[in-house]
Amino acid sequence: MQDERVLTSDRAICVWLASFPLRCEHVRRPELRGGAAVLVSPTDTRRVWQVGAAARRAGVSVGMTVSQAIGLCPSLTVLEPDPVYYDEQFTHVLEALERVRPVIEPTSIGCAYVGVDGVERLYGDADGQLRAVADGLARHGPLASTAWHAAARLGWGRGKFTAWVAAARARPGTPVTIADRDRDRMLARQPIAVLPIDVAIHRRLRRLGLTTLADVARLPESALVAQFGAAGGTAWRIAAGKQHDPVTGRVRPEPIVLTLRLPVPVADRTMLLHAWRMLVDRALGHPRRRGWRIRAVRARAHLEHGASWLTDLTLKDPTAAADHIVAPLAARLDQSPPTGAAVELVIEFTAFAPGTEELQLFAANAASAARAGRQRALRAAAQEIRTRFRRPLLHHVVEVQPWSRLPERRYALIDYEP
Amino acid sequence: MVPPARAPIRTDRLRALNEPVRAAVECDDRGRPVQLCLGDDPTPRAIATLVEEWRLDDEWWRDPVARRYVEVVLCNGKHLVLFEDLLDGAWYVQTP
Repeated sequence: MQDERVLTSDRAICVWLASFPLRCEHVRRPELRGGAAVLVSPTDTRRVWQVGAAARRAGVSVGMTVSQAIGLCPSLTVLEPDPVYYDEQFTHVLEALERVRPVIEPTSIGCAYVGVDGVERLYGDADGQLRAVADGLARHGPLASTAWHAAARLGWGRGKFTAWVAAARARPGTPVTIADRDRDRMLARQPIAVLPIDVAIHRRLRRLGLTTLADVARLPESALVAQFGAAGGTAWRIAAGKQHDPVTGRVRPEPIVLTLRLPVPVADRTMLLHAWRMLVDRALGHPRRRGWRIRAVRARAHLEHGASWLTDLTLKDPTAAADHIVAPLAARLDQSPPTGAAVELVIEFTAFAPGTEELQLFAANAASAARAGRQRALRAAAQEIRTRFRRPLLHHVVEVQPWSRLPERRYALIDYEP
Repeated sequence: MVPPARAPIRTDRLRALNEPVRAAVECDDRGRPVQLCLGDDPTPRAIATLVEEWRLDDEWWRDPVARRYVEVVLCNGKHLVLFEDLLDGAWYVQTP
């Protein structure tokens, strides 16, 4: 149901839109500009998640309770999160980047990597590639109507980590390139805060007196593995420049999406779970699902007053049983319930695993799903060729006058558009 | 009259397949090709044998087409089909 073959790229451009959700809110509500505003966390509505510049100047910081924040800044506007909206906007960003290069790997909301291997003839050197990405965002991104696309920080480097370090050092509109020859020297000077490891490990490293990546790289790898396990090993390899994580193009599944509009707003957990259960049952009965087990689920709820709730579930064991999908959903509802009454529920099955042989035998349209997968792969390949060479180079043969005695009149080539 | 809902066929994007390629052909006194140069390559290739010869006349009601096709074998064993445009005397290579 999805193509497992993915494109990878060693060289990467990191596109980082810091505080992306808050920026989305500013685009949606221009009246917030200039004022002090914060977003509360989608998982804990008592705590501040994102802080605007004016609020930061007043002393408000991430992780603070809302009451503390209001105490520091009485004019503070506290916004409920709308993760569905942010996700939609970020999808537009990814689509804009995909027009530049098809190898895109989003890592978190507001941060994505663009694989740039083999584009020298198309965009030139690193500077040209960075310009192409910035132009792509400006022309096609969701923020194109505002000047905010300039807020993107862009960094170029070998491997995702180096690109991320470059983006973190960049200013909006002024990208940073870390060339291979400067890489070790640049990374050695970076603080350990740039390492993609757990906060607790960061804290312990700092207590041990390690402040830069050079300090970490000077230690033997075995010592870090002994202290911190696999994460310690990863931290050492990254700090020592031994690990280059390539950009891995995302697999774009064709999700099964079902929506349920509730006749009255519902806040009661039991009723919500019952509604989710109905949706999951209906989605499992979808013809395209037959013969496949579900690996990833996204549940969305549109709430009263324009807010939303969203959760992504990756199932440990792919399943076709509704109970095994609803149980983790119930746990998420308990951990972080929606902040208001839901008016619409949406369930999406976003990743699939082949079912058992018996299930496959009964998969009425498994073959058509496979055909659809091939068609998607063809479309992606054709798009890649068009992007790389700026003109279609794939054609197919069409009959024109197959009966003609003149050979050149019988068939013709036409651009292939799968 | 209701216009067809289908997207118009972009005939400007069609490219004919198997178009004749101009060739410089040298013939003997009986009009049979003995050697040829293909495209931009000035190297003459000797023709070993003539396999078959036929004539094609078509479209006499608008732009008449008159061709003399000759299937030949080159000295390196390669088969080629040539034709002489009987209206202007030019030679071409084409797969029939």
